Amino acid sequence: MNRFTKNLHYFSPTGKAGLIILSLFFLMAVFSARLTTHPHDVSSGKALMPPCFDHVLGTDDIGVDLWSQLVYGARISLLVGFLTAGISGCFGALVGMFAGYTGGWMDRFFMRIIDGMMVLPDLPVMIVLAAFFGPGLAQVILVLSLFSWVFTARIVRSRVLVIKQKEYVIYARISGAGPVYLMRKHLFPEVLPLVWVSMIRLAGKAIVAEAGLSFLGLGDPTSRSWGLIIYHATRFPGIYYTRFWTWWLLYPFLALSGMVLALAFVCRDLETLADPRMNQKISGGV
Amino acid sequence: MLELNDLSIVYPENHGPLTAVDHVSLRLERGGRLGIIGESGCGKSSLALSLMGLNRKARTHGTIVYQGVQLNGQSDKAFKAVRWKKIAMVFQNGSEVLNPVLNVFEQLDEVLKTHRRFSTKQRRELVLTWLERVGLDRNWAFEFPHRLSGGMRQRALLAMALCCEPELLILDEPTSSLDARSRSELMGLIDSIQADQGYSLILISHQLSVIEAMTTDLLTLYAGQMMEYGPTHTLLHHPMHPYTRGLINASPDYQIYKELWGMPGGNHETPASNGCPFAPRCVQKGPRCKNSRPQVQIITDGRSLACNKGGIEILLKGEHLHKSFALKKGTVQALCDVNVELKSGEILAVLGKTGSGKSTLAHVLSGLYPSDQGRLTFWEPGLDSLSATRKRDGLQIVFQDPYSSTSHRMTVLDTVKEPLDILGWGTSESRRDAALSALAQVELPNKPEFLEKHGHALSGGQRQRLSLARALTMKPRILIADEITSMLDPSSRANLLRTLMGLQNAQGFSMIFITHDLFLARKVADRVMVMDRGRCIEQGSSVRVFQNPFHPRTRELVDTMLGNVKNEPMLGMKQNVYNLLKPREAETFFQVNHNKEQRRTP
Repeated sequence: MNRFTKNLHYFSPTGKAGLIILSLFFLMAVFSARLTTHPHDVSSGKALMPPCFDHVLGTDDIGVDLWSQLVYGARISLLVGFLTAGISGCFGALVGMFAGYTGGWMDRFFMRIIDGMMVLPDLPVMIVLAAFFGPGLAQVILVLSLFSWVFTARIVRSRVLVIKQKEYVIYARISGAGPVYLMRKHLFPEVLPLVWVSMIRLAGKAIVAEAGLSFLGLGDPTSRSWGLIIYHATRFPGIYYTRFWTWWLLYPFLALSGMVLALAFVCRDLETLADPRMNQKISGGV
Repeated sequence: MLELNDLSIVYPENHGPLTAVDHVSLRLERGGRLGIIGESGCGKSSLALSLMGLNRKARTHGTIVYQGVQLNGQSDKAFKAVRWKKIAMVFQNGSEVLNPVLNVFEQLDEVLKTHRRFSTKQRRELVLTWLERVGLDRNWAFEFPHRLSGGMRQRALLAMALCCEPELLILDEPTSSLDARSRSELMGLIDSIQADQGYSLILISHQLSVIEAMTTDLLTLYAGQMMEYGPTHTLLHHPMHPYTRGLINASPDYQIYKELWGMPGGNHETPASNGCPFAPRCVQKGPRCKNSRPQVQIITDGRSLACNKGGIEILLKGEHLHKSFALKKGTVQALCDVNVELKSGEILAVLGKTGSGKSTLAHVLSGLYPSDQGRLTFWEPGLDSLSATRKRDGLQIVFQDPYSSTSHRMTVLDTVKEPLDILGWGTSESRRDAALSALAQVELPNKPEFLEKHGHALSGGQRQRLSLARALTMKPRILIADEITSMLDPSSRANLLRTLMGLQNAQGFSMIFITHDLFLARKVADRVMVMDRGRCIEQGSSVRVFQNPFHPRTRELVDTMLGNVKNEPMLGMKQNVYNLLKPREAETFFQVNHNKEQRRTP
């Protein structure tokens, strides 16, 4: 905690704002049951009610409270975002570290795979994959992870290549340190800040991608993610001709943008912190 | 002529007998010149006094045989028969030996009166002739000793010793109190009279240049025991015993460039009689040295040696090392048929321009990458460069860049004890203790707040000390220092070097010091190896290489970097330009510069 408050000092005002917004969303997701009075999946009022005292953000076409949907949707968005980031971050870090450390044909092999993944247009492939795996939250996370780890792997590998040449690693190596020791003691702690940064960035991307997939109807139909709210809203025939969009479409959109923006702000500050040239400021990781 | 067989001289002291000379055997032929060197208290003077029979307090064992007659163990008569007449001695301290109430003439006269049968007139003539021969004016003959200068007193003593025309002259530190000019005069004198009279000579001196000039054979004594014996020149230039080398390294007439360091631990108690007496101070002592007394062994060409390890060990030997690196187009030959040898306790400087293969050599030796061809042997059979770096008492390397060689992220303590952690040596407490003592050795604080500091919070000099401490926790036998001072400011560099040299002297590890700075190498090295384009072009003692380089490229290197700079910096620059460019280009270069200068001055 002490280190956290110390590092908070290096955040810019926008970064701090991002952190605050992000923590608000977290609180929202955690205490969603206490924040809502209406259920998020069952109709609790008239259809398409504009915001009023009872339904602060109005209701959708079947009368489900939008505030409840939004609050519970935060759970889905955060879950998808951070789980995807976690899986792909860890996997990417491992692959990057392994490829960078071993070098040679292993390195070339992984790098070609990564290059291939990077040039693939991800959205169409994701749609195909999502369609192939079928709708569902786990599937969405899997599909998103499959495309995200390459960025982390690439960054981590390049950093490992640099650290590997450092004389203190060479010294440890000729002193008899094995690969496990080197990775644990030298490589991993060095790349950890980079992994954090790339994970935060991936979380933002994943949240948007999840919304995108849901918007295309490839999300989990039983869940109520923000993407799905937008999907349902846009499927409503009269959405563009009526004033329904001012609550039905706007609030999920704002929530989504707010979250992604907050992540972007935090990510930008973390990047500056994890910059090797600013190593002095992030002793012991972020 | 003179033969010592197993001679021991023991002083019966209150707290037990003190052995001043311990089982020394040697022979001196007629006309032979023997030098004896050793630290104070090693028994040189006791030996000399015993030869004269003047060591009445001491008990002698073994025999002193002079021309077939055993001198010791008999009554004093045997000695009286030879003292002054056959064996004469010039004592160390003129002012104490000469009788203050007799003038010089009377003192010499007294000696002649006692030992020779001459008439008064003959004696007078003889005394004055001898005084003149040793270069003391007749006028001084009738002065009292206190009116004479040190050199004059020494001359008077020499005349006193020579006037009985002895067959063996013992000189105990005859030149120690003289200035350089008087010293060389006196030496010349002894030399010329010896050529004339043909006496044998035993010279005891701390001044190795005097020993080398005056003697043909040399004996080194330590704690009364013979350590090494052999022809003077060979012994002084290729010592085989660590003690002899230590004496030479501490001598300013031989170490003209290198910093002087005495052998550490001079005031030790007399060691146990069953081991090697020099073992506590020896840089290469092994378990055997503690318990087994070294026997004198004849090596070759009249050299003998008393060392359990057979003399100075060779710790590392690389033969015909090759290493090349693949480039995009072709290969670069970084090492080409390099032979390298490192003895225990020795500092080898590897010199050469940038890209000459110095660091590649260091990396091959430390097992960073294997050599393409060639053989690398270490002090222990079965040890290779990989296993040598992975053990305590092995090989350690310190790199050039302090910012890269220690992690900015690890704490001081973690960095220093890292090699021990990797080895899993001892308990975590003992590792911590080893790290703390290594930090103290490199003069870094070992307070808790410093131990918890991260690498990035330290200066370059501190970080270089840190990486040195890290190497020292492994108690290395060989330390490879790869340009360790090149990135430091002059003051930090000097401080680090002094610390390093002090540690080297105290712990006795061997060092390969890689540098392109010839000034630095001259201060540090015992031996120098010069590399050029991956080849070793010259190897030799530091003094020899810097004073008289054989290879033209070494000469060029020494001239451009040391020679001309010494005389005139600009000339050095000019020489550099000439070396780099072809003569005509160089001319143009200076012409252009000259014109520019002229244009600048209105």
